Amino acid sequence: MLPGVGPKTAQRLALYLIKRSDKEVEDLAQAILNAKKQVGLCRVCFHLSAEPVCSICSNPHRDRNIICIVSDSRDVIALEKTREYRGLYHVLGGTISPMAGIGPEQLHIESLVRRVTKEKVAEIIIAISPSVEGETTTLYIGQLLKPFTKVTRIAFGLPMGGDLEYADEVTLARALEGRRELE
Amino acid sequence: MYLQNLYLRAFRNYLEQEVVFHSQKTIIVGNNAQGKSNLLEAIELLATLKSHRALRDRELVLDGEVAGQIEATVKRVYGTADLTIKLRKQGKRTFAVNHESLRRSVDFLGYLNAVQFSGLDLDLVRGGPESRRDWIDGLLIQLEPVYAHILQQYHQVLRQRNALLKAIRKQEQDRQLGLSTTAIDRQQLALWDAQLAASGSRVTRRRARVLTRLAPIAQSWHDRISGKTEMLQIEYAPNVEWTEDEPEKVQLAFLEKMELRRNAEYYQGKTVVGTHRDEIDFTIDGTPARYYGSQGQQRTLVLALKLAELELIEEIIGEPPLLLLDDVLAELDPNRQNQLLETIGDRFQTFITTTHLSSFNHDWIQDSQILTVKAGKIVEH
Ligand SMILES: Nc1ncnc2c1ncn2[C@@H]1O[C@H](COP(=O)(O)OP(=O)(O)OP(=O)(O)O)[C@@H](O)[C@H]1O
Ligand SMILES: [Mg+2]
Ligand SMILES: [Zn+2]
Repeated sequence: MLPGVGPKTAQRLALYLIKRSDKEVEDLAQAILNAKKQVGLCRVCFHLSAEPVCSICSNPHRDRNIICIVSDSRDVIALEKTREYRGLYHVLGGTISPMAGIGPEQLHIESLVRRVTKEKVAEIIIAISPSVEGETTTLYIGQLLKPFTKVTRIAFGLPMGGDLEYADEVTLARALEGRRELE
Repeated sequence: MYLQNLYLRAFRNYLEQEVVFHSQKTIIVGNNAQGKSNLLEAIELLATLKSHRALRDRELVLDGEVAGQIEATVKRVYGTADLTIKLRKQGKRTFAVNHESLRRSVDFLGYLNAVQFSGLDLDLVRGGPESRRDWIDGLLIQLEPVYAHILQQYHQVLRQRNALLKAIRKQEQDRQLGLSTTAIDRQQLALWDAQLAASGSRVTRRRARVLTRLAPIAQSWHDRISGKTEMLQIEYAPNVEWTEDEPEKVQLAFLEKMELRRNAEYYQGKTVVGTHRDEIDFTIDGTPARYYGSQGQQRTLVLALKLAELELIEEIIGEPPLLLLDDVLAELDPNRQNQLLETIGDRFQTFITTTHLSSFNHDWIQDSQILTVKAGKIVEH
Protein backbone atom coordinates (compact mmCIF):
# COMPACT_ATOMS: atom_id res chain seq x y z
CA MET A 1 0.00 0.00 0.00
CA LEU A 2 2.69 2.51 0.96
CA PRO A 3 5.32 3.41 -1.64
CA GLY A 4 8.67 1.83 -0.89
CA VAL A 5 7.20 -0.68 1.55
CA GLY A 6 7.48 -4.26 0.35
CA PRO A 7 5.91 -7.32 1.99
CA LYS A 8 8.94 -7.90 4.23
CA THR A 9 9.03 -4.36 5.57
CA ALA A 10 5.26 -4.46 6.06
CA GLN A 11 5.64 -7.59 8.15
CA ARG A 12 8.36 -6.01 10.25
CA LEU A 13 6.21 -2.91 10.82
CA ALA A 14 3.26 -5.06 11.85
CA LEU A 15 5.39 -7.01 14.34
CA TYR A 16 6.70 -3.73 15.77
CA LEU A 17 3.21 -2.25 16.15
CA ILE A 18 1.79 -5.35 17.86
CA LYS A 19 4.37 -4.95 20.64
CA ARG A 20 3.49 -1.26 21.30
CA SER A 21 0.75 -0.09 23.69
CA ASP A 22 -2.62 0.99 22.23
CA LYS A 23 -1.85 4.56 23.24
CA GLU A 24 1.40 4.66 21.31
CA VAL A 25 -0.26 3.29 18.18
CA GLU A 26 -3.13 5.78 18.52
CA ASP A 27 -0.64 8.68 18.72
CA LEU A 28 1.07 7.43 15.58
CA ALA A 29 -2.24 7.14 13.74
CA GLN A 30 -3.16 10.68 14.83
CA ALA A 31 0.18 12.01 13.62
CA ILE A 32 -0.32 10.43 10.18
CA LEU A 33 -3.86 11.83 9.96
CA ASN A 34 -2.63 15.32 10.90
CA ALA A 35 0.07 15.18 8.27
CA LYS A 36 -2.50 14.20 5.65
CA LYS A 37 -4.85 17.00 6.72
CA GLN A 38 -2.10 19.57 6.63
CA VAL A 39 -0.63 18.73 3.25
CA GLY A 40 -2.67 20.45 0.65
CA LEU A 41 -1.95 22.48 -2.44
CA CYS A 42 -0.60 26.01 -2.41
CA ARG A 43 -3.49 28.22 -3.51
CA VAL A 44 -1.20 30.30 -5.71
CA CYS A 45 1.00 27.76 -7.49
CA PHE A 46 -0.57 24.36 -6.55
CA HIS A 47 2.69 22.95 -5.24
CA LEU A 48 2.33 20.59 -2.26
CA SER A 49 2.24 22.68 0.89
CA ALA A 50 1.28 22.47 4.56
CA GLU A 51 0.38 26.18 4.54
CA PRO A 52 -2.26 27.87 2.35
CA VAL A 53 0.59 29.57 0.46
CA CYS A 54 3.76 27.54 -0.02
CA SER A 55 7.24 28.52 1.16
CA ILE A 56 8.36 29.35 -2.38
CA CYS A 57 5.46 31.69 -3.13
CA SER A 58 5.83 33.40 0.25
CA ASN A 59 9.61 33.77 0.05
CA PRO A 60 10.36 37.52 -0.47
CA HIS A 61 13.71 36.73 -2.07
CA ARG A 62 12.23 34.85 -5.01
CA ASP A 63 11.99 36.63 -8.34
CA ARG A 64 8.30 37.33 -9.01
CA ASN A 65 8.88 38.19 -12.65
CA ILE A 66 9.39 34.60 -13.73
CA ILE A 67 7.04 31.65 -13.47
CA CYS A 68 8.16 28.16 -14.35
CA ILE A 69 5.36 25.81 -15.42
CA VAL A 70 5.66 22.15 -14.53
CA SER A 71 3.20 19.28 -14.66
CA ASP A 72 3.86 17.84 -11.22
CA SER A 73 5.09 18.77 -7.74
CA ARG A 74 7.92 16.27 -8.17
CA ASP A 75 9.29 18.47 -10.95
CA VAL A 76 9.38 21.46 -8.56
CA ILE A 77 11.42 19.38 -6.15
CA ALA A 78 13.80 18.32 -8.97
CA LEU A 79 14.28 21.91 -10.15
CA GLU A 80 14.76 23.23 -6.61
CA LYS A 81 17.64 20.81 -6.15
CA THR A 82 19.57 22.57 -8.91
CA ARG A 83 19.54 25.83 -6.83
CA GLU A 84 19.78 27.63 -10.19
CA TYR A 85 16.24 28.84 -10.42
CA ARG A 86 15.10 31.79 -8.29
CA GLY A 87 11.64 32.46 -9.73
CA LEU A 88 8.19 31.09 -8.91
CA TYR A 89 6.35 27.99 -10.11
CA HIS A 90 2.96 26.90 -11.36
CA VAL A 91 2.04 23.23 -11.06
CA LEU A 92 -0.53 22.07 -13.64
CA GLY A 93 -1.34 18.78 -11.95
CA GLY A 94 -0.81 16.62 -15.05
CA THR A 95 -0.72 16.89 -18.82
CA ILE A 96 -3.46 16.86 -21.46
CA SER A 97 -4.41 13.23 -22.16
CA PRO A 98 -7.76 12.27 -23.72
CA MET A 99 -7.00 8.63 -22.91
CA ALA A 100 -6.87 9.48 -19.22
CA GLY A 101 -9.85 11.83 -19.59
CA ILE A 102 -7.71 14.87 -18.85
CA GLY A 103 -8.41 17.97 -20.87
CA PRO A 104 -7.25 21.55 -20.23
CA GLU A 105 -10.26 22.02 -17.89
CA GLN A 106 -8.91 19.37 -15.52
CA LEU A 107 -5.56 21.13 -15.16
CA HIS A 108 -4.70 24.30 -13.22
CA ILE A 109 -4.63 26.34 -16.39
CA GLU A 110 -7.39 28.87 -15.80
CA SER A 111 -5.71 29.98 -12.59
CA LEU A 112 -2.45 30.24 -14.49
CA VAL A 113 -3.93 32.57 -17.08
CA ARG A 114 -5.42 34.69 -14.29
CA ARG A 115 -2.05 34.81 -12.54
CA VAL A 116 -0.19 35.86 -15.67
CA THR A 117 -2.67 38.53 -16.71
CA LYS A 118 -3.10 40.03 -13.23
CA GLU A 119 0.48 40.15 -12.04
CA LYS A 120 3.09 41.58 -14.31
CA VAL A 121 5.08 38.49 -15.25
CA ALA A 122 8.05 39.14 -17.51
CA GLU A 123 8.74 35.55 -18.51
CA ILE A 124 7.10 32.15 -18.48
CA ILE A 125 9.36 29.11 -18.67
CA ILE A 126 7.64 25.90 -19.68
CA ALA A 127 9.43 22.89 -18.22
CA ILE A 128 7.25 19.98 -19.20
CA SER A 129 8.80 16.70 -20.29
CA PRO A 130 8.80 16.16 -24.05
CA SER A 131 6.37 13.24 -24.18
CA VAL A 132 3.53 13.43 -26.69
CA GLU A 133 1.18 14.64 -23.93
CA GLY A 134 3.79 17.07 -22.61
CA GLU A 135 4.35 18.55 -26.08
CA THR A 136 0.62 18.98 -26.57
CA THR A 137 0.28 20.72 -23.22
CA THR A 138 3.25 22.97 -24.01
CA LEU A 139 1.69 23.88 -27.35
CA TYR A 140 -1.61 24.75 -25.68
CA ILE A 141 -0.14 26.87 -22.91
CA GLY A 142 2.17 28.61 -25.35
CA GLN A 143 -0.78 29.66 -27.48
CA LEU A 144 -2.71 30.88 -24.43
CA LEU A 145 0.04 32.93 -22.84
CA LYS A 146 2.00 34.37 -25.74
CA PRO A 147 -0.33 37.38 -26.10
CA PHE A 148 0.53 38.40 -22.52
CA THR A 149 4.19 37.69 -21.92
CA LYS A 150 7.41 36.19 -23.17
CA VAL A 151 7.18 32.40 -23.23
CA THR A 152 10.29 30.21 -23.31
CA ARG A 153 10.74 26.52 -22.86
CA ILE A 154 13.55 24.55 -21.40
CA ALA A 155 15.82 23.14 -24.10
CA PHE A 156 15.73 19.63 -22.79
CA GLY A 157 18.87 17.62 -22.98
CA LEU A 158 16.59 15.02 -21.51
CA PRO A 159 15.95 11.45 -22.57
CA MET A 160 13.31 11.21 -25.28
CA GLY A 161 9.97 10.66 -23.67
CA GLY A 162 11.69 10.77 -20.30
CA ASP A 163 10.46 12.38 -17.13
CA LEU A 164 11.86 15.54 -15.67
CA GLU A 165 12.29 13.70 -12.40
CA TYR A 166 14.97 11.42 -13.83
CA ALA A 167 17.07 14.18 -15.31
CA ASP A 168 20.13 14.80 -13.23
CA GLU A 169 20.77 18.16 -11.64
CA VAL A 170 23.52 19.16 -14.05
CA THR A 171 21.30 18.49 -17.08
CA LEU A 172 18.50 20.54 -15.57
CA ALA A 173 20.73 23.46 -14.65
CA ARG A 174 22.15 23.50 -18.17
CA ALA A 175 18.64 23.25 -19.62
CA LEU A 176 17.58 26.33 -17.67
CA GLU A 177 20.43 28.33 -19.16
CA GLY A 178 19.74 27.13 -22.67
CA ARG A 179 16.02 27.85 -22.78
CA ARG A 180 14.64 29.17 -26.02
CA GLU A 181 11.63 31.21 -27.02
CA LEU A 182 8.57 29.27 -28.13
CA GLU A 183 7.72 29.76 -31.80
CA MET B 1 29.78 -6.86 -39.38
CA TYR B 2 30.26 -10.22 -37.77
CA LEU B 3 28.41 -11.98 -34.97
CA GLN B 4 31.17 -13.68 -32.98
CA ASN B 5 29.15 -15.45 -30.36
CA LEU B 6 25.70 -15.79 -28.92
CA TYR B 7 24.65 -16.78 -25.43
CA LEU B 8 21.07 -17.66 -24.59
CA ARG B 9 19.68 -18.15 -21.11
CA ALA B 10 16.06 -19.16 -20.51
CA PHE B 11 15.22 -17.95 -24.01
CA ARG B 12 12.40 -19.89 -25.73
CA ASN B 13 13.31 -23.60 -25.40
CA TYR B 14 16.99 -22.91 -24.56
CA LEU B 15 17.89 -23.23 -20.89
CA GLU B 16 21.50 -22.20 -21.32
CA GLN B 17 23.42 -22.22 -24.57
CA GLU B 18 26.62 -20.64 -25.80
CA VAL B 19 27.57 -20.70 -29.48
CA VAL B 20 30.80 -19.41 -31.00
CA PHE B 21 30.61 -18.71 -34.73
CA HIS B 22 33.70 -19.20 -36.82
CA SER B 23 32.55 -19.17 -40.41
CA GLN B 24 30.75 -16.73 -42.72
CA LYS B 25 28.03 -19.34 -43.13
CA THR B 26 26.24 -21.23 -40.40
CA ILE B 27 23.80 -24.00 -41.18
CA ILE B 28 21.43 -24.89 -38.38
CA VAL B 29 19.99 -28.33 -38.92
CA GLY B 30 17.37 -30.22 -36.91
CA ASN B 31 13.93 -31.78 -36.92
CA ASN B 32 10.78 -29.75 -36.53
CA ALA B 33 10.17 -27.91 -33.26
CA GLN B 34 13.73 -28.30 -31.91
CA GLY B 35 14.75 -24.62 -31.72
CA LYS B 36 16.15 -23.63 -35.12
CA SER B 37 13.86 -20.64 -35.64
CA ASN B 38 14.25 -19.70 -31.98
CA LEU B 39 17.98 -19.21 -32.53
CA LEU B 40 17.39 -16.90 -35.51
CA GLU B 41 14.73 -15.08 -33.53
CA ALA B 42 17.32 -14.21 -30.87
CA ILE B 43 19.52 -12.62 -33.56
CA GLU B 44 16.53 -10.79 -35.04
CA LEU B 45 15.77 -9.33 -31.60
CA LEU B 46 19.34 -8.06 -31.23
CA ALA B 47 19.08 -6.28 -34.58
CA THR B 48 15.56 -4.87 -34.43
CA LEU B 49 14.27 -5.37 -30.87
CA LYS B 50 11.32 -7.00 -32.55
CA SER B 51 10.32 -10.53 -33.29
CA HIS B 52 8.11 -11.28 -36.25
CA ARG B 53 6.63 -14.19 -34.30
CA ALA B 54 6.18 -12.99 -30.73
CA LEU B 55 3.78 -10.29 -29.62
CA ARG B 56 4.77 -10.31 -25.97
CA ASP B 57 8.02 -10.83 -24.13
CA ARG B 58 6.49 -13.50 -21.93
CA GLU B 59 6.36 -15.85 -24.93
CA LEU B 60 10.10 -15.46 -25.29
CA VAL B 61 11.01 -16.56 -21.78
CA LEU B 62 11.49 -20.29 -21.16
CA ASP B 63 8.41 -21.80 -19.54
CA GLY B 64 8.83 -21.89 -15.78
CA GLU B 65 11.44 -19.10 -15.63
CA VAL B 66 10.80 -15.44 -14.77
CA ALA B 67 13.47 -13.89 -16.99
CA GLY B 68 15.54 -14.75 -20.01
CA GLN B 69 18.65 -13.25 -21.53
CA ILE B 70 20.30 -12.86 -24.92
CA GLU B 71 23.95 -11.87 -25.11
CA ALA B 72 26.14 -11.44 -28.14
CA THR B 73 29.43 -9.98 -29.29
CA VAL B 74 29.42 -8.14 -32.61
CA LYS B 75 32.53 -7.20 -34.49
CA ARG B 76 32.27 -3.98 -36.46
CA VAL B 77 34.84 -2.07 -38.46
CA TYR B 78 35.22 0.43 -35.63
CA GLY B 79 35.46 -2.16 -32.82
CA THR B 80 33.45 -4.78 -31.01
CA ALA B 81 30.31 -4.40 -28.94
CA ASP B 82 28.80 -6.65 -26.30
CA LEU B 83 25.03 -6.59 -26.46
CA THR B 84 22.65 -7.78 -23.76
CA ILE B 85 18.86 -7.96 -23.73
CA LYS B 86 17.02 -9.10 -20.61
CA LEU B 87 13.46 -10.27 -21.18
CA ARG B 88 10.93 -10.72 -18.41
CA LYS B 89 7.71 -12.67 -18.00
CA GLN B 90 6.38 -9.55 -16.37
CA GLY B 91 7.82 -6.10 -16.66
CA LYS B 92 9.90 -4.26 -19.19
CA ARG B 93 12.93 -5.42 -21.09
CA THR B 94 16.28 -3.95 -20.23
CA PHE B 95 19.30 -3.46 -22.47
CA ALA B 96 23.01 -3.05 -22.11
CA VAL B 97 25.82 -2.27 -24.52
CA ASN B 98 29.32 -3.11 -23.32
CA HIS B 99 27.80 -3.91 -19.92
CA GLU B 100 26.47 -0.43 -19.48
CA SER B 101 22.71 -0.37 -19.14
CA LEU B 102 20.77 1.94 -21.42
CA ARG B 103 17.75 3.98 -20.55
CA ARG B 104 16.26 4.13 -24.02
CA SER B 105 15.77 1.23 -26.39
CA VAL B 106 16.66 3.52 -29.32
CA ASP B 107 20.26 3.59 -28.12
CA PHE B 108 20.49 -0.18 -28.38
CA LEU B 109 19.63 -0.20 -32.07
CA GLY B 110 22.24 0.17 -34.77
CA TYR B 111 24.96 -2.10 -33.36
CA LEU B 112 23.74 -5.13 -35.27
CA ASN B 113 21.89 -5.16 -38.59
CA ALA B 114 20.14 -8.14 -40.07
CA VAL B 115 17.76 -9.00 -42.87
CA GLN B 116 15.33 -11.76 -42.01
CA PHE B 117 13.84 -13.90 -44.70
CA SER B 118 11.41 -16.60 -43.71
CA GLY B 119 8.68 -18.66 -45.31
CA LEU B 120 6.15 -16.30 -43.79
CA ASP B 121 7.34 -13.42 -45.91
CA LEU B 122 4.94 -14.06 -48.75
CA ASP B 123 2.59 -12.09 -46.49
CA LEU B 124 4.56 -9.13 -47.73
CA VAL B 125 2.81 -9.52 -51.08
CA ARG B 126 -0.38 -11.33 -50.14
CA GLY B 127 -1.16 -9.82 -46.76
CA GLY B 128 -2.88 -6.55 -45.96
CA PRO B 129 -1.20 -3.11 -46.14
CA GLU B 130 -0.13 -3.55 -42.53
CA SER B 131 2.44 -6.22 -43.47
CA ARG B 132 4.03 -3.86 -45.95
CA ARG B 133 4.06 -0.95 -43.50
CA ASP B 134 5.69 -3.17 -40.86
CA TRP B 135 8.28 -4.26 -43.38
CA ILE B 136 9.30 -0.77 -44.46
CA ASP B 137 9.23 0.45 -40.85
CA GLY B 138 11.50 -2.43 -39.80
CA LEU B 139 13.98 -1.46 -42.50
CA LEU B 140 13.85 2.22 -41.52
CA ILE B 141 14.52 1.41 -37.88
CA GLN B 142 17.73 -0.36 -38.88
CA LEU B 143 18.85 2.43 -41.16
CA GLU B 144 17.95 5.19 -38.76
CA PRO B 145 17.32 4.02 -35.17
CA VAL B 146 15.63 7.29 -34.19
CA TYR B 147 12.78 6.24 -36.46
CA ALA B 148 11.75 3.76 -33.73
CA HIS B 149 11.08 6.77 -31.53
CA ILE B 150 9.30 8.71 -34.28
CA LEU B 151 7.00 5.77 -34.91
CA GLN B 152 6.25 5.36 -31.22
CA GLN B 153 5.34 9.02 -30.99
CA TYR B 154 3.06 8.79 -34.00
CA HIS B 155 1.17 5.86 -32.49
CA GLN B 156 0.82 7.61 -29.16
CA VAL B 157 -0.59 10.72 -30.89
CA LEU B 158 -2.95 8.45 -32.81
CA ARG B 159 -4.19 6.73 -29.63
CA GLN B 160 -4.77 10.07 -27.92
CA ARG B 161 -6.50 11.60 -30.91
CA ASN B 162 -8.72 8.54 -31.27
CA ALA B 163 -9.65 8.77 -27.59
CA LEU B 164 -10.62 12.40 -28.06
CA LEU B 165 -12.67 11.74 -31.21
CA LYS B 166 -14.44 8.90 -29.43
CA ALA B 167 -15.26 11.16 -26.49
CA ILE B 168 -16.57 13.85 -28.85
CA ARG B 169 -18.77 11.29 -30.60
CA LYS B 170 -20.10 10.03 -27.26
CA GLN B 171 -20.87 13.58 -26.23
CA GLU B 172 -22.78 14.17 -29.45
CA GLN B 173 -24.78 10.94 -29.02
CA ASP B 174 -25.65 11.83 -25.41
CA ARG B 175 -26.71 15.29 -26.48
CA GLN B 176 -29.07 13.88 -29.10
CA LEU B 177 -30.57 11.57 -26.47
CA GLY B 178 -31.13 14.59 -24.28
CA LEU B 179 -28.66 13.40 -21.68
CA SER B 180 -26.50 15.86 -19.84
CA THR B 181 -22.97 15.82 -21.13
CA THR B 182 -19.55 16.66 -19.90
CA ALA B 183 -18.38 19.45 -22.12
CA ILE B 184 -15.37 18.59 -24.24
CA ASP B 185 -13.59 21.46 -25.77
CA ARG B 186 -13.47 20.83 -29.50
CA GLN B 187 -10.63 23.33 -29.60
CA GLN B 188 -8.52 20.58 -28.10
CA LEU B 189 -8.80 18.65 -31.34
CA ALA B 190 -6.80 21.35 -33.11
CA LEU B 191 -3.86 20.57 -30.81
CA TRP B 192 -3.99 16.89 -31.72
CA ASP B 193 -4.39 17.74 -35.41
CA ALA B 194 -1.14 19.66 -35.19
CA GLN B 195 0.58 16.77 -33.39
CA LEU B 196 -0.65 14.23 -35.93
CA ALA B 197 0.53 16.45 -38.78
CA ALA B 198 3.95 16.93 -37.17
CA SER B 199 4.67 13.28 -36.39
CA GLY B 200 2.86 11.97 -39.49
CA SER B 201 5.03 14.14 -41.73
CA ARG B 202 8.17 12.68 -40.12
CA VAL B 203 6.92 9.15 -40.83
CA THR B 204 5.71 9.68 -44.40
CA ARG B 205 8.79 11.60 -45.55
CA ARG B 206 11.07 8.82 -44.32
CA ARG B 207 8.97 6.07 -45.89
CA ALA B 208 9.02 7.90 -49.21
CA ARG B 209 12.75 8.49 -49.01
CA VAL B 210 13.67 4.88 -48.30
CA LEU B 211 11.36 3.52 -50.99
CA THR B 212 12.89 5.85 -53.55
CA ARG B 213 16.26 4.33 -52.81
CA LEU B 214 15.09 0.76 -52.48
CA ALA B 215 12.92 0.54 -55.62
CA PRO B 216 15.66 0.68 -58.29
CA ILE B 217 17.78 -1.88 -56.44
CA ALA B 218 14.80 -4.23 -56.11
CA GLN B 219 13.94 -3.70 -59.77
CA SER B 220 17.39 -4.64 -60.90
CA TRP B 221 17.34 -7.82 -58.76
CA HIS B 222 13.93 -8.64 -60.10
CA ASP B 223 15.22 -8.29 -63.66
CA ARG B 224 18.07 -10.63 -62.94
CA ILE B 225 15.99 -13.32 -61.24
CA SER B 226 13.12 -13.28 -63.70
CA GLY B 227 15.46 -13.03 -66.68
CA LYS B 228 14.14 -9.57 -67.58
CA THR B 229 10.83 -11.00 -68.69
CA GLU B 230 8.73 -9.09 -66.20
CA MET B 231 8.76 -5.51 -65.04
CA LEU B 232 8.45 -4.79 -61.30
CA GLN B 233 7.17 -1.48 -60.03
CA ILE B 234 7.18 -0.35 -56.42
CA GLU B 235 5.11 2.66 -55.54
CA TYR B 236 4.46 4.37 -52.26
CA ALA B 237 0.77 5.22 -51.89
CA PRO B 238 0.55 7.43 -48.80
CA ASN B 239 -2.85 8.12 -47.29
CA VAL B 240 -1.99 11.81 -47.26
CA GLU B 241 -0.53 12.79 -50.60
CA TRP B 242 2.15 15.43 -50.89
CA THR B 243 4.58 16.53 -53.53
CA GLU B 244 7.23 18.78 -52.04
CA ASP B 245 9.53 17.18 -49.49
CA GLU B 246 9.44 20.02 -46.97
CA PRO B 247 8.18 19.51 -43.41
CA GLU B 248 5.84 22.53 -43.43
CA LYS B 249 4.26 21.63 -46.75
CA VAL B 250 3.75 18.00 -45.81
CA GLN B 251 2.22 19.05 -42.50
CA LEU B 252 -0.09 21.37 -44.34
CA ALA B 253 -1.24 18.49 -46.54
CA PHE B 254 -2.12 16.53 -43.36
CA LEU B 255 -4.05 19.44 -41.89
CA GLU B 256 -5.98 20.00 -45.11
CA LYS B 257 -6.97 16.37 -45.39
CA MET B 258 -8.06 16.27 -41.75
CA GLU B 259 -10.24 19.31 -42.37
CA LEU B 260 -11.71 17.60 -45.42
CA ARG B 261 -12.48 14.42 -43.50
CA ARG B 262 -13.68 16.16 -40.35
CA ASN B 263 -17.23 14.84 -40.49
CA ALA B 264 -16.15 11.27 -41.23
CA GLU B 265 -13.85 11.41 -38.21
CA TYR B 266 -16.58 12.75 -35.94
CA TYR B 267 -18.98 10.14 -37.25
CA GLN B 268 -16.59 7.19 -36.88
CA GLY B 269 -15.03 8.46 -33.68
CA LYS B 270 -11.52 7.73 -34.91
CA THR B 271 -8.67 9.03 -37.01
CA VAL B 272 -9.09 8.20 -40.69
CA VAL B 273 -6.26 10.39 -41.96
CA GLY B 274 -2.61 9.49 -41.53
CA THR B 275 0.31 7.19 -42.13
CA HIS B 276 -1.40 4.27 -40.37
CA ARG B 277 -3.36 4.03 -43.61
CA ASP B 278 -0.44 4.09 -46.02
CA GLU B 279 0.00 1.41 -48.68
CA ILE B 280 2.90 0.24 -50.81
CA ASP B 281 1.89 -1.03 -54.23
CA PHE B 282 3.82 -3.78 -55.97
CA THR B 283 2.89 -4.29 -59.59
CA ILE B 284 4.29 -6.75 -62.10
CA ASP B 285 3.82 -5.76 -65.73
CA GLY B 286 1.21 -3.28 -64.60
CA THR B 287 -0.97 -5.65 -62.57
CA PRO B 288 -1.04 -5.70 -58.76
CA ALA B 289 1.17 -8.55 -57.56
CA ARG B 290 -1.16 -9.13 -54.64
CA TYR B 291 -4.02 -10.39 -56.77
CA TYR B 292 -2.53 -11.52 -60.04
CA GLY B 293 0.92 -12.82 -59.24
CA SER B 294 1.41 -16.57 -59.29
CA GLN B 295 3.12 -18.08 -56.28
CA GLY B 296 6.34 -18.25 -58.25
CA GLN B 297 6.09 -14.59 -59.24
CA GLN B 298 5.37 -13.63 -55.65
CA ARG B 299 8.41 -15.53 -54.42
CA THR B 300 10.60 -13.83 -57.01
CA LEU B 301 9.26 -10.48 -55.85
CA VAL B 302 9.94 -11.15 -52.17
CA LEU B 303 13.41 -12.44 -52.97
CA ALA B 304 14.16 -9.28 -54.97
CA LEU B 305 12.93 -7.10 -52.10
CA LYS B 306 15.06 -8.94 -49.55
CA LEU B 307 18.19 -8.77 -51.70
CA ALA B 308 17.53 -5.07 -52.18
CA GLU B 309 17.23 -4.64 -48.41
CA LEU B 310 20.61 -6.31 -47.93
CA GLU B 311 22.24 -4.09 -50.49
CA LEU B 312 20.67 -0.88 -49.21
CA ILE B 313 21.65 -1.56 -45.61
CA GLU B 314 25.18 -2.32 -46.73
CA GLU B 315 25.27 0.88 -48.79
CA ILE B 316 24.00 3.11 -46.00
CA ILE B 317 25.62 1.50 -42.95
CA GLY B 318 28.87 0.85 -44.80
CA GLU B 319 29.05 -2.77 -43.60
CA PRO B 320 27.21 -5.86 -44.82
CA PRO B 321 24.32 -6.87 -42.54
CA LEU B 322 23.65 -10.41 -41.34
CA LEU B 323 21.28 -12.55 -43.36
CA LEU B 324 18.85 -14.86 -41.59
CA LEU B 325 17.24 -17.48 -43.80
CA ASP B 326 14.57 -19.49 -42.07
CA ASP B 327 13.20 -22.45 -44.04
CA VAL B 328 13.66 -20.48 -47.23
CA LEU B 329 15.83 -22.60 -49.46
CA ALA B 330 13.46 -25.53 -49.58
CA GLU B 331 10.76 -23.23 -50.91
CA LEU B 332 12.77 -21.87 -53.82
CA ASP B 333 13.24 -23.64 -57.12
CA PRO B 334 16.88 -24.53 -58.04
CA ASN B 335 17.25 -21.43 -60.21
CA ARG B 336 16.22 -18.98 -57.49
CA GLN B 337 18.15 -20.98 -54.90
CA ASN B 338 21.37 -20.54 -56.88
CA GLN B 339 20.67 -16.87 -57.42
CA LEU B 340 20.37 -16.39 -53.70
CA LEU B 341 23.38 -18.48 -52.73
CA GLU B 342 25.57 -16.82 -55.37
CA THR B 343 24.62 -13.38 -54.17
CA ILE B 344 25.36 -14.26 -50.60
CA GLY B 345 28.72 -15.75 -51.55
CA ASP B 346 31.05 -14.67 -48.79
CA ARG B 347 29.73 -11.13 -48.56
CA PHE B 348 27.15 -11.53 -45.82
CA GLN B 349 27.40 -13.55 -42.64
CA THR B 350 24.53 -15.94 -43.16
CA PHE B 351 22.48 -18.20 -40.89
CA ILE B 352 20.38 -20.83 -42.58
CA THR B 353 17.97 -23.27 -40.97
CA THR B 354 17.06 -26.55 -42.58
CA THR B 355 15.66 -29.94 -41.70
CA HIS B 356 17.92 -31.71 -44.21
CA LEU B 357 21.50 -31.01 -45.21
CA SER B 358 20.76 -32.67 -48.53
CA SER B 359 19.26 -29.41 -49.86
CA PHE B 360 22.76 -27.90 -50.01
CA ASN B 361 25.47 -28.56 -52.51
CA HIS B 362 28.79 -29.97 -51.43
CA ASP B 363 30.76 -26.71 -51.58
CA TRP B 364 28.33 -24.93 -49.33
CA ILE B 365 28.52 -27.63 -46.71
CA GLN B 366 32.32 -27.59 -46.90
CA ASP B 367 32.38 -23.82 -46.29
CA SER B 368 29.85 -23.79 -43.47
CA GLN B 369 29.84 -24.28 -39.77
CA ILE B 370 27.16 -26.88 -39.10
CA LEU B 371 25.15 -26.85 -35.88
CA THR B 372 22.66 -29.54 -34.96
CA VAL B 373 19.76 -28.54 -32.75
CA LYS B 374 17.86 -31.01 -30.65
CA ALA B 375 15.32 -30.00 -27.99
CA GLY B 376 16.98 -26.70 -27.20
CA LYS B 377 20.54 -28.00 -27.19
CA ILE B 378 23.13 -27.26 -29.85
CA VAL B 379 25.98 -29.55 -30.82
CA GLU B 380 28.59 -28.81 -33.42
CA HIS B 381 29.44 -31.34 -36.11
N1 LIG C 1 8.77 -19.87 -24.04
C1 LIG C 1 9.04 -21.14 -24.37
N2 LIG C 1 9.42 -22.03 -23.42
C2 LIG C 1 9.71 -23.32 -23.74
N3 LIG C 1 9.63 -23.80 -24.99
C3 LIG C 1 9.26 -22.98 -25.98
C4 LIG C 1 8.96 -21.61 -25.72
N4 LIG C 1 8.60 -21.01 -26.88
C5 LIG C 1 8.69 -21.98 -27.82
N5 LIG C 1 9.07 -23.15 -27.30
C6 LIG C 1 9.29 -24.43 -27.98
O1 LIG C 1 10.22 -24.27 -29.03
C7 LIG C 1 9.93 -25.18 -30.06
C8 LIG C 1 9.85 -24.48 -31.39
O2 LIG C 1 11.09 -24.11 -31.75
P1 LIG C 1 11.37 -23.52 -33.19
O3 LIG C 1 10.27 -22.66 -33.64
O4 LIG C 1 12.72 -22.94 -33.13
O5 LIG C 1 11.34 -24.84 -34.04
P2 LIG C 1 12.13 -25.16 -35.36
O6 LIG C 1 13.32 -25.98 -34.97
O7 LIG C 1 12.37 -23.94 -36.12
O8 LIG C 1 11.08 -26.11 -36.08
P3 LIG C 1 10.50 -26.09 -37.58
O9 LIG C 1 11.41 -26.92 -38.38
O10 LIG C 1 9.17 -26.70 -37.42
O11 LIG C 1 10.42 -24.68 -38.02
C9 LIG C 1 8.60 -25.82 -29.75
O12 LIG C 1 8.83 -27.10 -29.24
C10 LIG C 1 8.04 -24.91 -28.68
O13 LIG C 1 7.20 -25.61 -27.80
MG1 LIG D 1 11.30 -23.01 -37.70
ZN1 LIG E 1 3.08 28.24 -4.10
